[in-house]
Amino acid sequence: MSTITAPPLASSWPRLRGVRVAEVFVLLFFCLVMALPITFMLAGSFNTAAPGQPWSWGVENWVRAFSDPQTLSSLWMSFLFSVVRLIPSLTLSVIVAWLIARTDMPGGNAIEFLCWFAYFVPDFPLTLAWILLLDPHFGFLNTAAKYLPFVDGPIFNPYSFWGIVWVHLGTGGIWLNVMLLTPVFRRLGASLEEAARVSGANTFTTLWRITFPVLSPMILAIAVLSFIKGLESFNTELLLGLPARIYVYGTRIYDYLRQEPPAYGEATALGSVFLLVLFVLAFFYRSYLQGKKKFTVVTGSGYSTLRVKLGKWRYIALGGIVAWFLIMMVLPLVFLIIGSFMRRYGFFNISSPFTLAHWQNLLGDPLFIGSLKNSLVIASTTAILGILIYSIVGYLLASRKLVAPAALEFFCWLPWVVPGILMSLGLLWIFLATPLRGILYGTVWGIALALTINDSPVSTQAFKSGFMQLGPDLEESARVSGASWSYTYLRILLPLVAPIAVTVGMLNFGSALTSISTPVLLYSAESRPLSILLLEYSFTGEIERAAALGLLITGIICVMMLIGRRFGLRLTGPSREEAKPRGAV
Amino acid sequence: MPGNVLLEFSNVVKRYGETTVVDRITFTVAPGEFFTLLGPSGCGKTTTLRLLAGLETPDAGEITLQGRTLAAPARNILVPIDKRNMGMVFQSYAIWPHLTVFENVAFPLRVRGESRATIRKRVLEALDVVGLTGFADRGSTELSGGQQQRVALARAIVYTPALLLLDEPLSNLDVKLREQMREELHALHKRLNLAVVYVTHDQAEALALSDRIAVVNQGKLEQVGSPAEVYEHPHTRFVGDFLGRTIILKGTMRKDAGQSVVDVQGAGRVMVNGDISFGEGADVRILSRPEDISLLPAGELAPNQVAGKVEHVAYMGDHLEYTIEAAGRTLLMPASKRDNYAIGAGVRLVFDPARVTALPQ
Repeated sequence: MSTITAPPLASSWPRLRGVRVAEVFVLLFFCLVMALPITFMLAGSFNTAAPGQPWSWGVENWVRAFSDPQTLSSLWMSFLFSVVRLIPSLTLSVIVAWLIARTDMPGGNAIEFLCWFAYFVPDFPLTLAWILLLDPHFGFLNTAAKYLPFVDGPIFNPYSFWGIVWVHLGTGGIWLNVMLLTPVFRRLGASLEEAARVSGANTFTTLWRITFPVLSPMILAIAVLSFIKGLESFNTELLLGLPARIYVYGTRIYDYLRQEPPAYGEATALGSVFLLVLFVLAFFYRSYLQGKKKFTVVTGSGYSTLRVKLGKWRYIALGGIVAWFLIMMVLPLVFLIIGSFMRRYGFFNISSPFTLAHWQNLLGDPLFIGSLKNSLVIASTTAILGILIYSIVGYLLASRKLVAPAALEFFCWLPWVVPGILMSLGLLWIFLATPLRGILYGTVWGIALALTINDSPVSTQAFKSGFMQLGPDLEESARVSGASWSYTYLRILLPLVAPIAVTVGMLNFGSALTSISTPVLLYSAESRPLSILLLEYSFTGEIERAAALGLLITGIICVMMLIGRRFGLRLTGPSREEAKPRGAV
Repeated sequence: MPGNVLLEFSNVVKRYGETTVVDRITFTVAPGEFFTLLGPSGCGKTTTLRLLAGLETPDAGEITLQGRTLAAPARNILVPIDKRNMGMVFQSYAIWPHLTVFENVAFPLRVRGESRATIRKRVLEALDVVGLTGFADRGSTELSGGQQQRVALARAIVYTPALLLLDEPLSNLDVKLREQMREELHALHKRLNLAVVYVTHDQAEALALSDRIAVVNQGKLEQVGSPAEVYEHPHTRFVGDFLGRTIILKGTMRKDAGQSVVDVQGAGRVMVNGDISFGEGADVRILSRPEDISLLPAGELAPNQVAGKVEHVAYMGDHLEYTIEAAGRTLLMPASKRDNYAIGAGVRLVFDPARVTALPQ
């Protein structure tokens, strides 16, 4: 026994030190790119001088911003949009999720796939398509309606409150809700419902007294989530709201910054207020979820063979969902295609109304070539940077050896609360006020950095759960076998999380390609991405060329996501295989 | 039993695709009887229970309760789950997390439209019966496993169901609590005089609680009988093995002055009582419980004795376990610590003819 002299700590020390160094490094990075911009924005709202000038303190920005009745009305509009949109969207997604998971409606898998697909269709081209359909002057549905009796004017107007609400019924959020809710319904412990049935309750009573109440915390959580996301919505409001002078807080900030000279002060004051509202909401959301943990645990295993029999109603339900998909997704996309091939959109009666000219113009436009290059550089940089940074962060969070895991978690969730346009506003200050100005201000690298920051919540979570599922055993057994940490990382850990890395890369590439709210404040003529070009085309009335570009972006995204799905690109829950019924016991 | 039948489960078949999970199972349950379906996991016993409750639909056969046909696919009869008037305790208890203890138990009465006063009275009574007096206003997520189980039980008996179905209700409890709940369940059954169909894979539970046991294997009913019958005279090798340890020896049937005697490959002769259908010269196996066999030192073989040799001894704390070679087979024999034999010593296994079963080879 006396021969053993090595201090027991020595073996674990180098690796622990590595984790410490990495933790400090990552925290510093997040402070620099997240905490600092937000602080700058909050502080900047009290700065009455222009960016780059010496600071002078005062409350003039706040006074000016809030003495403008438009400011309060834009905050109110954001709130109103989010609430009004939430009600039909949540009702629809709860019904659809229930139909897929708990009834004998045919085609559940196919509908889940459609939702998954629809989620990735970018909202900007869709909004454009609805303009093609509903515009008071050339919208197809308005033109067609003229042939109806008693109609002598446009009956639809997309540039309105209800127009914006309508378009949102077909964009990302609602499809995501279905995808989030379906596994919740599916995982509900089958015996809870069975117990009610044996106790003498019929199908309907069971649904109202047991199923929905048990799931209410999860449904409420998803409602709050989509409410917050609704507040942050920007693209549709920009395209449809601006012509009608309907402002939400995001488009109002955009408007402030497009003034000459840009009203940075007012923009930051408005941003600060909104940030406060979001933080309060997010705080209640998190503490509410934590309080309900016991509740969600109860809904455990057990696949229900007890599906509600809808009889002939199951075909009606299926038909309803298919119709909804056709109207909200297929119809606009079809008109986007038609629009991109029409000499003058809406004029079907002129000789040879169809043409390839817009596609030729688009592909021959030097602006397009430049933007495409910019977009590809930005999106690839975002994807690679995201994989590099968030795989390390995810590994650190999963390792459970951190000094301040809560701080790291907080930073990772921060962009979830802070809308892209506010994060960009804060970053703009950093870019302008630091020596990095030359590299980051108005360049593709600055935009890529901002987009990477935006991607942190989902990316970190994906890597973290990936590493958690691996567990420490695989890594430790490699280390015990004599492999160094770096060898272990390269040969064991990285190959095992490779599918997650591909997934994260694809998602981030896609969102970088379609984001408008993040680059809109950061781009310059040299770094203009495709999404901004689309915005410019549609604002300058080149609607046919915008349609072509929108289609092109949609096409790229769809192809990428379909490839990604082969690598197991899923957003929620267990795969279909795991959800199959277990052998009868 | 005939003429006094509460439940008739006859020739019921349930298939999932190619696999037949319940294969022509037939049994009856008398009023007030505690009837147990015993078998390994995956044998179809839980599916049988779910067929009774209406949670599964049979492919063939008939289920009749109190003269009312609940399911008969051939005649297109299928009474819905909520119209069967059964009480059921699930393996997971299935306590609704959003309702209090009181509301959980009150639920079956509420869906039956009972008056508030009746509901209050009967829920409190049911909680008394299961030993949860004073728990009515608790949230159901604040309960321990044992308490959840009592709530589930109270919920199942609150409306006096025609039949109480229990699906491995004790399997999620720790050993001590399980023994206590077993006692309570026994007492409760005696008090309520409810017919119970109980599903378990634990043979000790089945033996201690049941009036009759049905042993199920691979979707088939192997044997139905009182605990003593199935334990001491298993009809099949599976039943014998599943209900505990067995000692099995091969031999040849000899008829000797009207008596059936098995010649155990020259190592000894064992008499077999009861109704023996084997003829002279048939190859049989004899089966007995180790505790019904005693050990004696080697010596002159008397009837019902078989010679063997100790190959190994394991010290098990409260007893010894001998590995004994007898008639070409290796047997594991627990024995009292007073029976002390060295390795290599010859021994005699002494059988009790009343507790020996002969089975075909």
